[in-house]
Amino acid sequence: MNFNFSKDQIILRKSAREFIKKEIPASLVRELLVDEKGYSPKVWEKMAELGWLGIAIDEEFGGIGADFMDLAILFEELGRGAVPSPFFSTVLLGGFLLQNHASEELKNRYLPKIVEGKSIITAAISDEKGFYGKNHVGITAKNSNGSYLLSGSVLFVSHANVSDMIICAAKMDSNNTGITLFAVDRKAKGLTATPLKTIFGNYIDYSIALDNVMVSPEMIIGEECKGWDYIEKIWPLIITAQSCECVGGMQKVMDMTRDYLNGRIQFGKPLSALQIVQHMSVDMFTKVETSKLTAHSAAWSISEGLDSENEAAIAKSWCAEAYKDVTKIAHQVTGAIGFTEEYDLHLYTKSAKKLELLFGDGAYQRKVVADKLGL
Amino acid sequence: MDLRLTEAQSKLQKEIRDFLESIKKTGEYPFTNDSLQLVFSPEFSQRLAEKGWIGIAWPKEFGGQGAGYLERCIILEELLKSGAPVGYHYLADRQVGPGIIHFGSDFLKDEFLQKMLNAQVSFCLLFSEPNAGSDLAACETTAVEEGDYFIINGQKTWTSHGHSADYGWGLMRTSFDSGTPRHNAFSEILINMKTPGIIIRPVINMVGLHSFNEVFFDNVKIHKKYLIGEKGNGFRQIMTNLVYERATIDRLIQNYSTKEALFEYVKNTEKNGVPLSKDPLIRDGLARLEVEFQVGRKYIYYVTTLLDDGKIPDYEAAIGKNFCTLFEAKLSDLATNIMGLHGLIMPESPEVLFKGIVAESYLMSPSYTLQGGSVEILKNIISKRGLKLASK
Repeated sequence: MNFNFSKDQIILRKSAREFIKKEIPASLVRELLVDEKGYSPKVWEKMAELGWLGIAIDEEFGGIGADFMDLAILFEELGRGAVPSPFFSTVLLGGFLLQNHASEELKNRYLPKIVEGKSIITAAISDEKGFYGKNHVGITAKNSNGSYLLSGSVLFVSHANVSDMIICAAKMDSNNTGITLFAVDRKAKGLTATPLKTIFGNYIDYSIALDNVMVSPEMIIGEECKGWDYIEKIWPLIITAQSCECVGGMQKVMDMTRDYLNGRIQFGKPLSALQIVQHMSVDMFTKVETSKLTAHSAAWSISEGLDSENEAAIAKSWCAEAYKDVTKIAHQVTGAIGFTEEYDLHLYTKSAKKLELLFGDGAYQRKVVADKLGL
Repeated sequence: MDLRLTEAQSKLQKEIRDFLESIKKTGEYPFTNDSLQLVFSPEFSQRLAEKGWIGIAWPKEFGGQGAGYLERCIILEELLKSGAPVGYHYLADRQVGPGIIHFGSDFLKDEFLQKMLNAQVSFCLLFSEPNAGSDLAACETTAVEEGDYFIINGQKTWTSHGHSADYGWGLMRTSFDSGTPRHNAFSEILINMKTPGIIIRPVINMVGLHSFNEVFFDNVKIHKKYLIGEKGNGFRQIMTNLVYERATIDRLIQNYSTKEALFEYVKNTEKNGVPLSKDPLIRDGLARLEVEFQVGRKYIYYVTTLLDDGKIPDYEAAIGKNFCTLFEAKLSDLATNIMGLHGLIMPESPEVLFKGIVAESYLMSPSYTLQGGSVEILKNIISKRGLKLASK
């Protein structure tokens, strides 16, 4: 048993960290939170050049075909930079759903473009209230003369406005239970996307509404009525990637806070010399260290092709709450400067809350754990 | 990264499980319902010794198996899950043996290592004193050199198994020069507990059990060859020794049966015609415990791999211990709450469920976060060594 990263993985992490530090500093993050695109096309292009966008895509489509651990490392570093980008929706949701299940034609249409940075993909899988689960799919598909008409709405769709295609999960009108995934052109008639002003950005997440959007049968991803199985299959990847983002973010908060406490003089000594502050910091540190192991273990398990449903649920349940708790303690020991716009901590506080709630909070994940325990 | 057990490790895990299952069935050895008390049974320890399962992590040149701490962790996890009576060889295997291997003279190695491996000698730890609890460097028990001997005077306390162990691993003040820094004033000495001048008095804990003792030394004469390592280096040696104490899975697994009992209870107990395990609050509480258990277990295995890499995981062991003891305390609290009034019923009472381990675990719980270094002392270590916070 060993928990060590390989040399290549260490190099990947180092180069990713340097890239993000240089290309996506906190000043750019702040701009992107109010930017109408919600991401930086210039940086996106560079990510494509580095091969990041194709890291999990097979070589036959121009990708690298690396294992999940490499992708997990990138997510961790993106989390460390609190980077707003369509990386998650494109590479993870789009990339895996298409690669695992789509027809050759759809794969050929989208995957090479994803790799080249020329196509942004997102997915709409929840409902109009933002709930997750196969009984909470907000879109319905009706068969009409060999095509499908999609109607309904979904509360939270990342980067919908800049995406070329939205993978929409839809209940089949004909049998009420089956869910099908449709590749819907962003410009399709009847599809509107409205930007949501959230705690993490003004143009990053959208609510979308579909009003009889016509989609042809060849745009179905995989088989009809199998859509929710496909989503369940990548669910561990989704929440493990998020867990890694949490780990990167909380590690950064820990580093910032340590530097602050070591440097800030009060009562004639650094704040870090106060035992109460030391103990609060150790609570943060413990969460960071345990989260790292938990997220990395889940990522390793996925990389090895093992059944990772429980492992991933444990990781998300632990890491997301840990990240939030770490930001809370950081605020308490950092004081008023931490509550300002100019200090970077709030970027992480916001990102932590968002990561916690997207794709199910801790309680949601613990339902899976409880099921696995036979409760 | 590879988080699988090797084939040999999986085989070992199965072997120890099978061994424990069959030996438990014989009824010849004092297995307990939980592992909160580490019962002394030289006979049981000798059966493990025959298998080579004591000192499995020690180097071959000292008679061990030269396997890893991971193998030790695998064995220990199964032993504690099964409630095996491991008290007799426990400290020898965990920290006294490694301590002698690290610091001991050839004489001490010859005298003790083989006996430990054969389960023919047992130990207790003589560290804490009435005025030196968390502040261990305040120890006042003295060992004064007189020819070839140390003459020991003073008092130790909270000595687990002091009344049954053969030898005590003691921290004694050996320098009385006021110019000597506190941390250079101590030495470690192995003390035969049957030496004249030693008086042992039981201390009954709040559960009502005799688990620890006070030990008094009145001109106790110990030959200098029982000095461990260098004179004056005792405090530093003990800090290394304590890493071995903390870097193990004990704290997580000693309450394993409490967790099992709780899970069984909620599955088999109905309220308003529905099993408790279907109550969303209970499900979330139990899943939360399971998440913490799995996170803690992973962390302990990680610390174990650090030991196997030849590192001294000082702050990592402290994080692991803190995490696991806090888990244990939560577990017993939640278990008593969910079991309601049954959570109050002690072992051997009428109407008791699960032989009273849940109530007993709750009463034991204040000790979890104290023994082997309190949560707060360990946080001081983590802050300094792990987090590198400035302390001045």
